[in-house]
Amino acid sequence: MLSTLHHPPRRLSRFFPANNKPRHFHTKPVLSSSQPVTDQSPSSTSPPESQILSIHHSLLSREVTATQLAETYLSRLKLAEPQLKSFIHVSNNVLKEAQSIDDKIKRNENVGPLAGVLVGVKDNICTVDMPSTAGSRVLENYRPPFDATAVKKVKEFDGIVVGKTNLDEFGMGSTTESSSFQVTANPWDISRVPGGSSGGSAAAVSARQCVVSLGSDTGGSVRQPASFCGVVGLKPTYGRVSRYGLIAYASSLDVIGCFGSSVADTGILLSAISGHDRLDATSSKQEVPDFTSQLISASLLESKPLKGLKVGVIRETLENRVDSGVKSTVLGAVSHLEELGCTLSEVSLPSFSLGLPAYYILASSESSSNLSRYDGVRYGNQAAAEDLNALYGDSRAKGFGSEVKMRILMGTYALSAGYYDAYYKRAQQVRTLIQKSFKTALDENDILISPAAPSAAYKIGEKKNDPLAMYSGDIMTVNVNLAGLPALVLPCGFVEGGPVGLPVGLQMIGAAFDEGKLLKVGHIFEQTLQGCRFVPPLIADGIPQ
Amino acid sequence: MPTRYYYYDYDYNNRTRNCSTTTTRSSLEPPDVPRLAQTARISLTPHEVEEFAPKIRQVIDWFGQLQDVDLDSVDPALRADSETGYLREDIPKTFKNRESMIAAVPSYDEPYIKVPKVLNKE
Repeated sequence: MLSTLHHPPRRLSRFFPANNKPRHFHTKPVLSSSQPVTDQSPSSTSPPESQILSIHHSLLSREVTATQLAETYLSRLKLAEPQLKSFIHVSNNVLKEAQSIDDKIKRNENVGPLAGVLVGVKDNICTVDMPSTAGSRVLENYRPPFDATAVKKVKEFDGIVVGKTNLDEFGMGSTTESSSFQVTANPWDISRVPGGSSGGSAAAVSARQCVVSLGSDTGGSVRQPASFCGVVGLKPTYGRVSRYGLIAYASSLDVIGCFGSSVADTGILLSAISGHDRLDATSSKQEVPDFTSQLISASLLESKPLKGLKVGVIRETLENRVDSGVKSTVLGAVSHLEELGCTLSEVSLPSFSLGLPAYYILASSESSSNLSRYDGVRYGNQAAAEDLNALYGDSRAKGFGSEVKMRILMGTYALSAGYYDAYYKRAQQVRTLIQKSFKTALDENDILISPAAPSAAYKIGEKKNDPLAMYSGDIMTVNVNLAGLPALVLPCGFVEGGPVGLPVGLQMIGAAFDEGKLLKVGHIFEQTLQGCRFVPPLIADGIPQ
Repeated sequence: MPTRYYYYDYDYNNRTRNCSTTTTRSSLEPPDVPRLAQTARISLTPHEVEEFAPKIRQVIDWFGQLQDVDLDSVDPALRADSETGYLREDIPKTFKNRESMIAAVPSYDEPYIKVPKVLNKE
């Protein structure tokens, strides 16, 4: 990223205007030689650069056009798609939008910070010019009459939405196997899952089919696929990013999150989409700092750049239930943080293990309510029926997949009269305990760390018929959603498996609205990690760059 | 009548499941899948009822472990955030893309959204 600069760190403080309105921003081209974005020498193990900044620079210095960039990404996308199946829908307008950016540049007009950047959008986020299915037959061919606020902001900053990515239906799942349309493959080993529910968004960034992507995270659906696919995933604080246009799964838990191939890119995308929105009553009015202004070039870091940072390792996440390879990779990350000057200590989060059943009670209950709107009357697929109840019953029976049906039924049970106190209310009480234990731990530590998942990517089909086995994979991530805190996952190492090994992600959890600290720490960790390069074999070997 | 519940513990190193069973008092009826399906307005096939019932039961049993936790004097958390009091002005705005909303309606007979008759079962 800024490693291409050979002078003191340039602050990105005006990359995004302070009030987050779409004021176009013109950067001066940097005179040093930066690598064109299409050259990623496979033999180097240098840390990842910000592709967004690199693209911005290349466009403004006329080294490359947005159309050329779009063509490169599209051809890579199409080449990998038969194996990966990351996309449910690819936009027809990519080259047209790229051309209009090129025209603006030719006329010396200002272009936004995301100009020329191809963005994948998870298909449960509404886009007005493309179908938005939430991975479900009940919304097959549904065209929303509006863009989600997050999408609107991406477009305002001149980002190009390249397509809608695959997901587990309505966000319910951890593998994309519950998508009604297709199963996405992991670019590191196509016989394995990419994770879920934002598996398509993670795989697309990992395979460089797009530069960055949007996903959603209700119980880990951005962080776990980021770990499985070897990319950076960020779950913001609840309320940081507007949920307007995010097809609701569990309203008290859902957030829109970001994927990138570097911490910097993830932070730039977060900056673009954050902010209060009057259309989302749960959207926070907390000021949005410029998340990327703290990201300093690696060559300019002092020897212990994180000196004084207190990091708590969550004890419960490194106990028996974790794959030994994952454990040792995370312990390697702990050493790396110590070398950077952090003070590491072990923290215990009481009630940690209760978070998983509490989460599933809350999520199924809320989803049973949120999905009651899919009745075949005002939108979506409608079954032929002679009376109203049959219309509802048959439209929903035909439209929903098995996992969704089961969760609706479980939620209906938990919310039934007489059961509310036993399940939903108790789950909310457990939620209070978890919020309190995080607050205590974060009063004494700057960040907390854990693995992002108990294992690396497993084989497609392995967990399909065992719901509890699949749910247990979420143990590292759900508590963060219950507490509404932000978390960043970045690749920290590999375990055995697949052709060249499988990536493992480290999760960093911060205090509410403290995404800036997570990004700063993550960026330094990433830029100083030696000997690892997180580019999957699908890209490094077979596909022209 | 006491019901059993299982403590689910998936050991990734040995790929085994350690189940400990304990009994707990519960007066809750086990899930009646056909009745739940009717409440949720989803027409399940008999095959689906047969397939889902054991899985749903297994998960609900697993939910039951919360019964054993001492939660007296713990307030339920309604949401993740604690910000309150954000009200906006009560000014109606016309949604501009009405044609697109209407276009999404499966059975439309201007200006009505059509549905089949609601049968009264006497």
